[in-house]
Amino acid sequence: MGHPLHAAMVHVPVGLWLGAAILDLAVVAGVTNEAVPRLALYAALIGTGVALLAIPPGVADWSGIKREKPAWKLGLYHMVLNSAALLVWFANLGLRFGADAAITGPVWMTSCAGAVLVIASGYIGSRMVFDQGTSIARESKKKWRAIAEREGATLPEEK
Amino acid sequence: MPTAKDLLQGKPLRCPVHVALVHLPIALFALGTLLDVASWIWARPEWRLVPAAFLSLVLGVAAALLAAIPGFVDYSSIRGDHPGKKKATWHMVLNLVAVGLYALSIGLRFESLNGPRTDLLALIVSLIAFGVIGFSGYLGGSLVYEDGIGVGRHRHEGDLPQDTREIGAGAAQPVCIGRADEIPEGQTARVNVEGTTIVVARQGGQWFALQEFCTHRYGPMSEGRLEAGEIVCPWHNSRFELASGKPCGGPAKLALRRYTIEERDGRLFVHGMPRDSTV
Repeated sequence: MGHPLHAAMVHVPVGLWLGAAILDLAVVAGVTNEAVPRLALYAALIGTGVALLAIPPGVADWSGIKREKPAWKLGLYHMVLNSAALLVWFANLGLRFGADAAITGPVWMTSCAGAVLVIASGYIGSRMVFDQGTSIARESKKKWRAIAEREGATLPEEK
Repeated sequence: MPTAKDLLQGKPLRCPVHVALVHLPIALFALGTLLDVASWIWARPEWRLVPAAFLSLVLGVAAALLAAIPGFVDYSSIRGDHPGKKKATWHMVLNLVAVGLYALSIGLRFESLNGPRTDLLALIVSLIAFGVIGFSGYLGGSLVYEDGIGVGRHRHEGDLPQDTREIGAGAAQPVCIGRADEIPEGQTARVNVEGTTIVVARQGGQWFALQEFCTHRYGPMSEGRLEAGEIVCPWHNSRFELASGKPCGGPAKLALRRYTIEERDGRLFVHGMPRDSTV
């Protein structure tokens, strides 16, 4: 595929968890449109579902990183924060369904906590990619090797 | 002080702002289209699927327009002859098409927000738009993971090289690759002499010329960072001594090919190009 599955899938929980928190805060700020708490419910629900699906490819990516590399530790923090975020969103969903989709104090507070956790964790994930180069050119190594070879570079032995 | 361009590219954050922002529109569009489909499966007005889908798409369009701003800046920073540039152009065009389609779908459903299910035409347009944004998002991911766009960019001082200087060597040796004052202190240039590509770096008033492609995964050294006597690959932080090309940190194990470069009368000359010498 040329693109790590985990990185593609996480757009859904990151976007929807943040979206749910923003919608909850809109209700707290006085927005009365009844579609807002419903959309927040759907966002929290689908976001949490897809977050669960994104775990296996994420763990597979992490297990491919050598332990002595800085990205390994970042990946560990990323995983711990994601687990915490997931637990918070489970609690949030329970509270939401318990309140029949109404935005009670505990609902919006857990939303905000879950959003902060996923921002922190997502930031660490992006540092792995954009600072440490995790998964970069993993699948396109051959393409770049061919270009480098054509353009006169010294190359290592092909593995 | 970071410039406006640096901020829009996310340099102080050390990751691209566009990539962070796009989580919102992608997720909101996906949810909106999913709710559109759900409204045709379950006609339950008390679930408010139709207005919730509408709201999701409206917020998605707003977030997409916001994400487009740093996206344009990122696009403009990709070298004109970069192998990923064409893909980036498609990514941009298809994103605009998808946002246009979602805006159309929003317009088509505006009259029937109180109905039990999303207007049929609006649903169809919403599904097409989802296909377009899905494919375009895939291209965007491929720009990062396949082409390394944006990776390590925050470590490079100033703008990335905007082009490759194409030099025809002819018979004259050494090869003149341009004027010295075109490359400021601490900066790099990407130069191609009859098919062989090198990075030219200026540091501490000295000149260095090395092969452009890292010996680890062939990352673009001209987009890397210059540190005291060293050049660092933007992709996986392989380090090489500028003077010798020898690896001195990170995953690369093999030296970069080195070329002798000298400044004469304000002009730069490289010896042994295109490829018959390692000096």
